[in-house]
Amino acid sequence: MQAAAALAALVMALLLPEIAGQGLVFLAGLLWINMVFGFSWNLMFRQTGLVSFGHAAFFAIGGYGYAVLARAWPGLPPLLVFVAAGALGAVAALVVGVVALRRSLGVYFAIFSLALSQIVAMVISDLPSLGRDDGFAGIRRPVLDLGVATIKLAEGDNYYRFLVLSCALLTLIVWWVTHSRTGRRFRAVQQDAERAAFLGIAVARQRLLCFVIAAAVAAVAGALYGPWLQLLTPELAQWTFSARPILFTLLGGAASFWGPAVGALGFTVLEYATRTLHGVGEITVGGILLIVVLIFPGGIIGGIIGGVRGALGRARPVAGA
Amino acid sequence: MLADLAGVVFNGLFSAMVVFIFASGLTLLFGVLRILNFSQGGFFAVGAYLAFSLTRLLGPALPLWRFLAIAVVAGVVVGALGIVTERLVLRRLRQVDGAYSLIATYALLLLVEGIVKLIWGVDVRSMEPPAELSGVWQVGDVFMPTYALFILAAGLALFVALEWLLHHSRLGKLMQSVATDPWMASVLGVDVARMQTWIVVGGFFLAGIAGGLLVPNQALSPSLAGTFVIQAFGALIVGGMGSVRGTFMAAILLCVADSLASTYLPGVPGVFFYITMAALLLLRPQGLMRGAQL
Repeated sequence: MQAAAALAALVMALLLPEIAGQGLVFLAGLLWINMVFGFSWNLMFRQTGLVSFGHAAFFAIGGYGYAVLARAWPGLPPLLVFVAAGALGAVAALVVGVVALRRSLGVYFAIFSLALSQIVAMVISDLPSLGRDDGFAGIRRPVLDLGVATIKLAEGDNYYRFLVLSCALLTLIVWWVTHSRTGRRFRAVQQDAERAAFLGIAVARQRLLCFVIAAAVAAVAGALYGPWLQLLTPELAQWTFSARPILFTLLGGAASFWGPAVGALGFTVLEYATRTLHGVGEITVGGILLIVVLIFPGGIIGGIIGGVRGALGRARPVAGA
Repeated sequence: MLADLAGVVFNGLFSAMVVFIFASGLTLLFGVLRILNFSQGGFFAVGAYLAFSLTRLLGPALPLWRFLAIAVVAGVVVGALGIVTERLVLRRLRQVDGAYSLIATYALLLLVEGIVKLIWGVDVRSMEPPAELSGVWQVGDVFMPTYALFILAAGLALFVALEWLLHHSRLGKLMQSVATDPWMASVLGVDVARMQTWIVVGGFFLAGIAGGLLVPNQALSPSLAGTFVIQAFGALIVGGMGSVRGTFMAAILLCVADSLASTYLPGVPGVFFYITMAALLLLRPQGLMRGAQL
């Protein structure tokens, strides 16, 4: 059922430009990228219990990595450049993870990752070749050469469709990792690290692997983001941006795979509805998030499931009577 | 060169005291309640804006005593907000997992930031320090703004006062007992819930007063809420999570290292704070004051 729903959502996303205006299509593109960003964060949180407050650093590394590579070597196949951006994120995560993950977990790791992302943001703000605080502008949408045909992504809604398919592929990868044997090993580490170690699971290595995969996915999402906005700014590496996937995940429900998607949708709607009112946006998002954490820790999905179960639970005795 | 060095260290010490004044309330809250409070920045901003508005209200002249009184008033108002926040939010976070409570206080930060925007708007404002503090002292070749000297003195005084309160007063010993083992403290007749409320009020009071004292140092904008939080978290965690002494020492270490490196090494100014922080965390994951109390 989940597969059918996901497929239906994909078809609808692909058909969106036929019925909607440019503004809505643009927002939808951002939403798909946000969803993937959220999935990648929740892969760490849900599967291994790792809380990163610096996930945006990998998004930014991917985004800027793609932009720099595409500018330096315009002849490279674009798909290769997207993969390279992901690899860049993975390598950065590997270096950070090898040193940090063995030493610090929990709140320590949250703050540690926050400090590292701050370093990335400051370096971006300072380097003239990355556009400093003005941003990295003029990122072109590439031309795909598929052998049998070439597709100019700059034309019409081509880049949007490419974006949708890429995001679907990334989601599929995260889904596959979550439900594979590797994913179950991650889960064992999250539930009881000591027992997992006793069963012969290399706990530190599982955490590292999960961290690296999540970073790679976030980096590719960042790479897709650049040509879509055609502008990158240092805010992408800052902690306020790192808070986004956390917001999506908790808002939607961290216990479900699809939580970040529901949360990202809710957040986008809220943000769009309050965009002209200074302060109201923050109050709404902050207030709702607070209510979610304090009263509905299961998020929107958890609330719906709880509601349905509650209704069924009440209905059953009546049916039996 | 030597005078240069003195100036650089002076600047480092100044930012260290700014960070410590901000982080003191954070440390208190974390030390006793084990809540890492993102929203401290928001309440700091509320204190700063309150001080700004009160100063405007009372007219153009700003004698030193009035500047101090206004900071105290800002502290009291924010402390009162602490009571509400404790009842509605922080009290419920005690049963919640660490990560969730971090996220909840981030939500609170967003909420407070939004309210600040609603009340005071999004324009950047600024405020001059009182006339007594706007001069410059010159010792040898080093120029020291009077305001910076004042903040140094205030930071030091705050540190001494907190150390005395926590380690030499009856109240401090009760607070230590609640921090170490709330259950045991309650068995021995300490009203733990009430104590915790007062600690939140104290922490928020410090946030408000920090806002009032540090307004002349900042451009006043809603993004002020996030400005010091990360650096204060750094000092808190490097210092050993909830030890006032540790936070004080870590703030000095990180800020002076940053000031020195930014002057004498090539690279991005400000980034050395975080590099030092990451290095220290890897070398001593438990912080400078391992297992220290408050």
